[in-house]
Amino acid sequence: MFDLVEPALFAILTIAIVAAGVGVVLANRITTSALLMAFTFLNVAGMFVLLGAETIAMFQVLIYVGAITVLILYGVMFTPQSPRPYGLFFQGQKFWAALLVVPIGIVVAIVGSLGFHDSATVAAKGGDLVPLATSVFRDFAFPFEVASVLLLAAMVGAIVLVKRDEE
Amino acid sequence: MAVPLGAFIAVSAVLFFIGTAGVLVRRNAVVILMSVELMLNATNLALVAFSRRYSSIDERGSVFVVFIFVVAAAEVAVGLAIVLSAYRNKPTVDVDEIRQMRG
Amino acid sequence: MPVGPFGIDPAIWAPLRLVIAVLLAVGLVFNGALAQIYLERKIQAVIQDRLGPLHTGPWGLLQTLADAIKLLGKEDIRARLTDKWFFLAAPSIVFSPMLASFVVIPFAPGIVGADLNVGLLYLTTLGSMTVLGIVIAGWASNNKYSLIGGLRSAGQLISYEVPQILSLVTVVVVIGTLSMVGIADSQPGWQVNFLVLPLAFVTYFIAGLAETNRNPFDLPEAESELVAGFLTEYSGMRWAMFFLAEYGEVTIVSSIVTTLWFGAWHGPFVEVFPLLGVLWFTLKTYFFVLVFMWIRATLPRLRIDQLMSLCWKVLIPLTLVNLMITSILVLAFPTTLVPVAIANWILLAAFVLALPYFQRRRLIGLRERLRTAA
Repeated sequence: MFDLVEPALFAILTIAIVAAGVGVVLANRITTSALLMAFTFLNVAGMFVLLGAETIAMFQVLIYVGAITVLILYGVMFTPQSPRPYGLFFQGQKFWAALLVVPIGIVVAIVGSLGFHDSATVAAKGGDLVPLATSVFRDFAFPFEVASVLLLAAMVGAIVLVKRDEE
Repeated sequence: MAVPLGAFIAVSAVLFFIGTAGVLVRRNAVVILMSVELMLNATNLALVAFSRRYSSIDERGSVFVVFIFVVAAAEVAVGLAIVLSAYRNKPTVDVDEIRQMRG
Repeated sequence: MPVGPFGIDPAIWAPLRLVIAVLLAVGLVFNGALAQIYLERKIQAVIQDRLGPLHTGPWGLLQTLADAIKLLGKEDIRARLTDKWFFLAAPSIVFSPMLASFVVIPFAPGIVGADLNVGLLYLTTLGSMTVLGIVIAGWASNNKYSLIGGLRSAGQLISYEVPQILSLVTVVVVIGTLSMVGIADSQPGWQVNFLVLPLAFVTYFIAGLAETNRNPFDLPEAESELVAGFLTEYSGMRWAMFFLAEYGEVTIVSSIVTTLWFGAWHGPFVEVFPLLGVLWFTLKTYFFVLVFMWIRATLPRLRIDQLMSLCWKVLIPLTLVNLMITSILVLAFPTTLVPVAIANWILLAAFVLALPYFQRRRLIGLRERLRTAA
């Protein structure tokens, strides 16, 4: 009976991810989109836990739900728009975009899943904390430093862009 | 019965294309940023799934995911800064209306 | 057949442990909040040379019950809101991560909900999810004072996450594991971490004060500022949820301090009776809760710019220097912890002694500027 726990959890998380993702794209109000996006992030973190990558799951929640969602909410709060009629909701190219995306998406999903029958949730490797830490700080120490410089540049750039000129 | 790797890839692909549809179809710049975040999440999922299944010693896919987190955070910050500056110029975030530099 | 702790079959012990942890968590949160509300009023009263609640029950013990009944009976006023669902969801978003944090806290040897090997990272992650709830609460109230209070609180919480995480990383560098049970096990008897890493304790405590929106960092929710900040439109039981969340967070921060620096459940006779660990853990945790309340009754409130400059200009450089020196010493002397302890105590003494000096210089500079401007 306990063998069905993993597929059941996977099914629930998949339905939640797809439904929330479609909700982000199609929601009428932008605040609903933002919260559904946070919900998608939480469900993707659940997928990571299912795969046994719990450190990555914690980072996902910490960075995406804790920081990026707050940033997006700030962006939503500071750019209020007057409500528009629903008919002008999508851009002019909506028909062609939908036509291209949906079939290609279905084809990629099916083809991508055909080649890999091995089980992914082989949790016999004792978590991913130690291998991840040794990789990041030993083999990839230089990209790690470059990433910190990137974050510094992004922080300074964002502050400079938003600063008002004091006249 | 455990979940096959292909199922994770399929979910990742579906999420990626939902994000792509969002970028192509919506007019609000902040919603476009949100859809880009969905696409990044989809790639993270695919990378971690492959890494957990096929890497024997170290988790290189997960390392790449850590760097994607960093880049995504930086990109959202700068992207929102740009959107806010454009909003200050002309009070709209509608990408069809921000066209002063066009043609 | 393997035998689990207390002689119980491991197949039953794992879910049973989770059930015990959930019951402990719920019990600790609600009863702890009741106890803490009463303790807060009594202790503040004693420090302020008055008596506190006296009439409801012996020594005012039933005061919290009376408060709870009053809050339950309040009218559910909802003004014209920007978004009804966000307004209703915000207290839950603030409350749930706090409740989920109790899963990894080791109350006694063997009594922990789930021994995650990233337990400390899990606690930090849950702490960062409360920011979302506060921003939503401030924005959904359709009240510009609430919005400003919510944004200020979010800025404060996000800023103080950095010294908090850096202090925790310093401890992890010395101990070598992120698992809460591992950290608790690594401090047998009197060899508690406080003797080795006092500066990390001080910086984590200050950052924890700011993270839980307690005095002297309670600008976003203070009653005399901004009409109570992001809590303005919340009355009755919704306000009570926010405050339960705050007292729960205080308990969590105290539990983390107890586990990391004071040996969690270690104490006399705990090898003989493992369940006695719960008593020692609770005593140590509530000691720190009392320190939180003592600080609340004693110190004045910081302004938002003072608060932010304290974080970015004082705490972050201090924690970074601490982390760097600790890491270098741990790598240079891998077998002994004495150099790390000496360096940390020297840094702590330098920080404490340098504070009045810098304060005097700042005040002299301020006085000069005021005199030349006048």
